Amino acid sequence: MSTQDRVKINKLPTGVPGLDEIVGGGLPEFSFNIIAGAPGSGKTTLAHQFVFANASSERPALYFTVLGESAIKMLRYQQQYTFFDPAKLPDSIRFINLSQVVLEKDLGAVLEEITKEVEKANPAVVVVDSFRTMVRKPQSDMDLQSFIQRLALFLASWQATTFLIGEYAEDELRDNPIFTVADGLFWLRQTAERNSIVRKLQVIKLRGQDSVPGLHTFRITDAGVQAFSRTFGLTARKRNPPGDRRLSFGVPELDKMLDGGVREGDSVLIAGSSGTGKSVLATQFIAEGIRQGEPGIVAVFEERPEAYAERAASLGLDLETPQKNGKLTILYLRPLDLSVDETMQSILDAVQKIGAKRLVIDSLAGFEMALSPGFRADFRESLYRMIFALTGIGVTILSTVEVDESFTEFPFSTYSISFLTDDIIRLRYVSIDGQLRKIMVVIKMRGGNHAKDIREYEITSKGVVILGKRLTEYQGLISGIPVRSDRPDSTEEPSLDTGIEHKT
Amino acid sequence: MTAAPETRDLANRLLLYEAGAGKTSEPAESATLRVYEKLRQDLGEFAGVAAFQSLASRALALARTEAPSLSAARVAADGSLQGLGELEKQLDIDKDRAGEGGIILIARLLGLLLIFLGESLTLRLLRAKWPEAALNDRNFENGRKA
Repeated sequence: MSTQDRVKINKLPTGVPGLDEIVGGGLPEFSFNIIAGAPGSGKTTLAHQFVFANASSERPALYFTVLGESAIKMLRYQQQYTFFDPAKLPDSIRFINLSQVVLEKDLGAVLEEITKEVEKANPAVVVVDSFRTMVRKPQSDMDLQSFIQRLALFLASWQATTFLIGEYAEDELRDNPIFTVADGLFWLRQTAERNSIVRKLQVIKLRGQDSVPGLHTFRITDAGVQAFSRTFGLTARKRNPPGDRRLSFGVPELDKMLDGGVREGDSVLIAGSSGTGKSVLATQFIAEGIRQGEPGIVAVFEERPEAYAERAASLGLDLETPQKNGKLTILYLRPLDLSVDETMQSILDAVQKIGAKRLVIDSLAGFEMALSPGFRADFRESLYRMIFALTGIGVTILSTVEVDESFTEFPFSTYSISFLTDDIIRLRYVSIDGQLRKIMVVIKMRGGNHAKDIREYEITSKGVVILGKRLTEYQGLISGIPVRSDRPDSTEEPSLDTGIEHKT
Repeated sequence: MTAAPETRDLANRLLLYEAGAGKTSEPAESATLRVYEKLRQDLGEFAGVAAFQSLASRALALARTEAPSLSAARVAADGSLQGLGELEKQLDIDKDRAGEGGIILIARLLGLLLIFLGESLTLRLLRAKWPEAALNDRNFENGRKA
């Protein structure tokens, strides 16, 4: 069947930031959905957000409460959320308590009551909260299955989008007639990991459209439930194929080593031990971008934005003015219990807000430390997803990582994340002539030539300055303890790698 | 502690409205009972019979401390108010005292709604039930005056 012959299913906004992306653009209209999870997992709040986002006086929402919490108490708490609009009550959103019918009668009477109210109100949205308390009364499986099927059929025929809310344990997922009938099944989980609470949402089933699979982090704030899609909301964005444009570092000799600069849309890693100038190089990179009219974001974890800007000023780089002009945002991300997806969403929001072309993450170690312990296991995977998403829309990312200085090895990263990067620049100390000096080498540049030279550099009042030509009078520089060779210092131009990719 | 003046004023306005309406439509029923029944019907559907019964019992207990004349009244399991008829019979003998008891009871019930739901939501519910009664919200502060 061609696309134009298919019935068009309208997608309703969920009212939950991030959830529309997860469910493939919105919730299918007239669908019969279940929100399941343990008590306190946010089921009622999520349903309220949907109700407030979709109810109108012409097509109201009917919110049936059963034996769970009373509507008065529920509204007392729910009105604390910013999405709660009292103007919608009672014309657009009506609460109806069914506890008496449930206690005194059977499921048939419950269905009859729901039918009566739906026929009277012609609602766009129907919620039954908590559905589970209704079906816990003893009755045969046939009664229950028949009830669910009739309810689903009736509400779909009356063009209502429905949510049943229930407390379910995960092992109840199998062989349950309710889940078979449902068009959409949303599972909310919360688990304690060490001292942190980790909340995850899963769309187990959603008929008619593609949802993003997997477990998505969510948080409940005063704005209600906020979900963080594993794709960071970028699936709908058109990917920009990498171009040939090169971005300057603001360090001419380094640009030469990179055959003209970093390729736009690349992910660059600067690895080095403490004090080698990783942050200085990152600052020069972002400042050069601003100088060339490319807005930037700096995500810092180890120092406050003011300190970061002050340090840049000491290098003659003005980061204050571009912040005031909206060309630069310095994000300080260090709250406790932060989820990795939430942190990355903050970065993505900032990137999209100012149209950033360059992003600095300083540093990956600080980033990881800022996360709640329960999320650290997901760090590499989430980082991969974010880098893939951002570079896909043309943002160039520079990350710094601290590596332990070794005089027997030459590690690029302690995080095994070099596979995430297109380009790696390694900074390190070497012992030469009784001095601890610094050298720099481009280890990898995916899809491009780069200099193979090992260059000495210094950190001056103007930032990183590369000295002289490549060091040819020493051997074993990358060991950190070179030995002097007989060859004189080279005066040649930087020699370029012919595209052979270094194994990392 | 007595019911807040603003809540009493709101209760009074509802009772006056119903007293006016009662002259033509329901002459046999007191204004207090009519206001109470409308609240019971609305809140019963909204929050459930049991929830309304609990709130009404609490309101009656609070009201009795101010109006001993309500001692004969009680809230039945279905939330209906019983025994108020005895008080109403005293109307000719002690009209002021009987009317005052009704105002206090309704004021206490409204006060509880203000505490639990807040001013905005409570007034919306009342306006939906009494669309023609003049219920302004300028005299309340965060629904705290019970």
